[in-house]
Amino acid sequence: MGLRTTSKEMDQKSQAGPSGSNKSSVSLVSSLMRSWKITSNPSSQKSSNSNSNSYSNLSGNSSGDNRLNSGNFDAMSKQQTAAIKSSSSYSPLRYSTPVSGISVGESPRPLLYSNHRNGDHESSIKKDAYFKDLDEDWSAVIDDYNMPIPTIANGGISRSNSDNLTSTSLSKAYDPSLPLSRKVTNNSMKSSSSLGTNITQQGTAQSSHNLSYPQLPQLQKSVTSELKLQLEMENERELQKINSIMQRITKFDCIVSDKKIINQQELRQISWNGIPSIHRPKVWKLLIGYLPANTKRQESLARRKRQEYKDGIKHIFTEEHARDVPTWHQIEIDIPRTNPHIPLYQFKSVQNSLQRILYLWAIRHPASGYVQGINDIVTPFFQTFLTEYLPHSQIEDVEKLDPESYMTEEQIGDVEADTFWCLTKLLEQITDNYIHGQPGILKQVKNLSQLVKRIDVDLYNHFEAEHVEFIQFAFRWMNCLLLREFNMSAVIRMWDTYLAETSVETSSGSSTTFQSTGAAGTGSGESNPHTPLQPTNPTFQTPGSDYHSPSSHTNASSKNISSGENNRLRYSSLNEFHVFVCAAFLIKWSDKLMDMDFQEIITFLQNPPTAEWNENDIEMLLSEAYIWQSLYKDATSHWQ
Amino acid sequence: MLQFKLVLLGDSSVGKSSIVHRFVKDSFDEFRESTIGAAFLSQSIKLDEDDTVIKFEIWDTAGQERYKSLAPMYYRNANAALVVYDITASDSLSKAQSWVEELKNKVADDKLVICLVGNKLDLCQEDSGKRSVEISDAKQYADEQGLLFFEVSAKTGEKVNDVFKSIGESLYSYKKEELLSKSEQNGTNTHGQVDLQLQKPATSDPTSCCT
Repeated sequence: MGLRTTSKEMDQKSQAGPSGSNKSSVSLVSSLMRSWKITSNPSSQKSSNSNSNSYSNLSGNSSGDNRLNSGNFDAMSKQQTAAIKSSSSYSPLRYSTPVSGISVGESPRPLLYSNHRNGDHESSIKKDAYFKDLDEDWSAVIDDYNMPIPTIANGGISRSNSDNLTSTSLSKAYDPSLPLSRKVTNNSMKSSSSLGTNITQQGTAQSSHNLSYPQLPQLQKSVTSELKLQLEMENERELQKINSIMQRITKFDCIVSDKKIINQQELRQISWNGIPSIHRPKVWKLLIGYLPANTKRQESLARRKRQEYKDGIKHIFTEEHARDVPTWHQIEIDIPRTNPHIPLYQFKSVQNSLQRILYLWAIRHPASGYVQGINDIVTPFFQTFLTEYLPHSQIEDVEKLDPESYMTEEQIGDVEADTFWCLTKLLEQITDNYIHGQPGILKQVKNLSQLVKRIDVDLYNHFEAEHVEFIQFAFRWMNCLLLREFNMSAVIRMWDTYLAETSVETSSGSSTTFQSTGAAGTGSGESNPHTPLQPTNPTFQTPGSDYHSPSSHTNASSKNISSGENNRLRYSSLNEFHVFVCAAFLIKWSDKLMDMDFQEIITFLQNPPTAEWNENDIEMLLSEAYIWQSLYKDATSHWQ
Repeated sequence: MLQFKLVLLGDSSVGKSSIVHRFVKDSFDEFRESTIGAAFLSQSIKLDEDDTVIKFEIWDTAGQERYKSLAPMYYRNANAALVVYDITASDSLSKAQSWVEELKNKVADDKLVICLVGNKLDLCQEDSGKRSVEISDAKQYADEQGLLFFEVSAKTGEKVNDVFKSIGESLYSYKKEELLSKSEQNGTNTHGQVDLQLQKPATSDPTSCCT
């Protein structure tokens, strides 16, 4: 019910919006596709979340069966390790075996955002990224078995519905209980019947998705190969992809512009799975807590912040300011060698902008100062915020165009200011990474090694035998948030998720600091040294506790705290999630690494074969990290 | 084949990574991303003497002050250290000197081969006004401290291989002495056939060296 309402809203919305024009023409096909997708999805428990009714039933029924408690970690770990190791060619599907068990009844993020949403806006759309990934898992398996058609596992459930399909209405396109694709009806009724039994026992059609996965291997045997359908399938997939992009855009339109107070939690949740490029600049600013959720206040606040930044810059270039020459010089050295392979960063105007941003940040944060790597971290912000000033059709060209060719000096100053503030917000959450001795990084490296020891003990032992130390390769992963490991578009996609992971308390709690205008010297505003986190303030949190950076205590302004109250149940932090991403990244290569010696391992990990990685690869990685996190979260609380 | 562990130290942007890349890959990038933590590379050379093959396992460390606490992990078990400065920046020589001092104080092995290297020779060949460290000053310091000394250009490749060859020869002569004295003691002749295994860092706690 809720879903259908939503989809109607969405439909109206999309027709009003710029993206609605093609919608009806593709809708029928897409609805067919969608139904195929859903039914074929091995982990489609995710889709079940999209229906709020079934979601709550489901989590009640199945949590006991499927949620792991800490006692099972080792067993799970072994099982996973075995699954991963079982073939030399890495198969995401095998890898995901435990997934269906773990997250049944849980959407990809709900562990972290554990409130139950109203449901209306919790449509299945947001899960598209997962659908897409998992579809690809499917195709991998299908290749393995020389089978062009994925046979739909849980199709049996809705056999009776399948006739409706040809006349599927738009609203039905969003219904996860929606049935079979014709391929299923044509090809795999027999095979799905066995599942049908299970499903009936479950009682609700929706919940059946969750149970489908373990049955898959049997199903594949019964599939006949029809090559022409493969082509059709590809076409449909293409259409579906476009359609889902349009739906996502509409969804973001709804959230970002339609309300007086933007629902931060909803925004985080949908952003976790990727942000359309046209929405990205604004959404990033919201996620990180630079722009307030109150849309009425956004403009005035941005204006004030931009002015503050510009006053700060003005001050740096006055005689009153005694320049910190070593810092200025170090930044000057590093700017030309920041992203040296991207034309954007070779333009003088861009280099000057980054120099100002980094220098102002450094002198305002003397406890850390400028540390190499921050020059990398600033670039995704800068590049993304530039796209706000490009026509939509040219967003992809941002890496090639000189901003001076399409922006006024004033606008460049605004982008600089936005970048500065967002950089400040981000670094606030990882202050420990850059202060003297870099304790935050050492701690994360240590946590990574312990995590790998639990998840993949063979790899861990192999590293020990080869005298490979985690710090030898993982230091950079932590210091630059994996920026050096991926190309820029992959990094930006990764940051959609990372920024959705940023601690709400911290970001909202300190959004009104830096009140000083003009007095940019070290005595003002936020320039008090950030002290290292207390030992009691762990990187890995005990579930249920809140993450506070020191700044959230010292700088929290009362009017913003209230927005944090809603998020009390969050117990994740960027640093923690990042360790899981690093673990997923490392374990991805486990099979290869096991055959390597010290030199090969280090060389490989310093130059991982990620040059061609695209958003899908990143999404896969993030999903894996999420899985590890939900599995090992309790375990990590003992690491203090 | 003899294996040796070599570490590069020196101020930020003096060209440590560029020297290594010239030596290992014979390539040069005008703008190379700053090294974070440390980077590992390896390369073998053949010495004229006895056709001995020497394999260098190279740890190229980050130059920025903030990363200084990581350096001990990499020089602790090194057989040779290449301390680099920029001949167009006099500050970088004093930084190099402090590295030399630290090595002498912290590395127990008195057979540690230290080579002082002034980089960016090409800049001074284009425009002699750019030089701010006189070769005689640096040479004098190196002699006093018992260091090998070279001025090189990673950009043109000038003298880069000489640096590693010279380090290799020093290491080899130390090794020969060692083997000789051993064989004298044992009364057998091993003909230098012993494969020198690198000592590898034994600690798994990265923080232990950073205090």
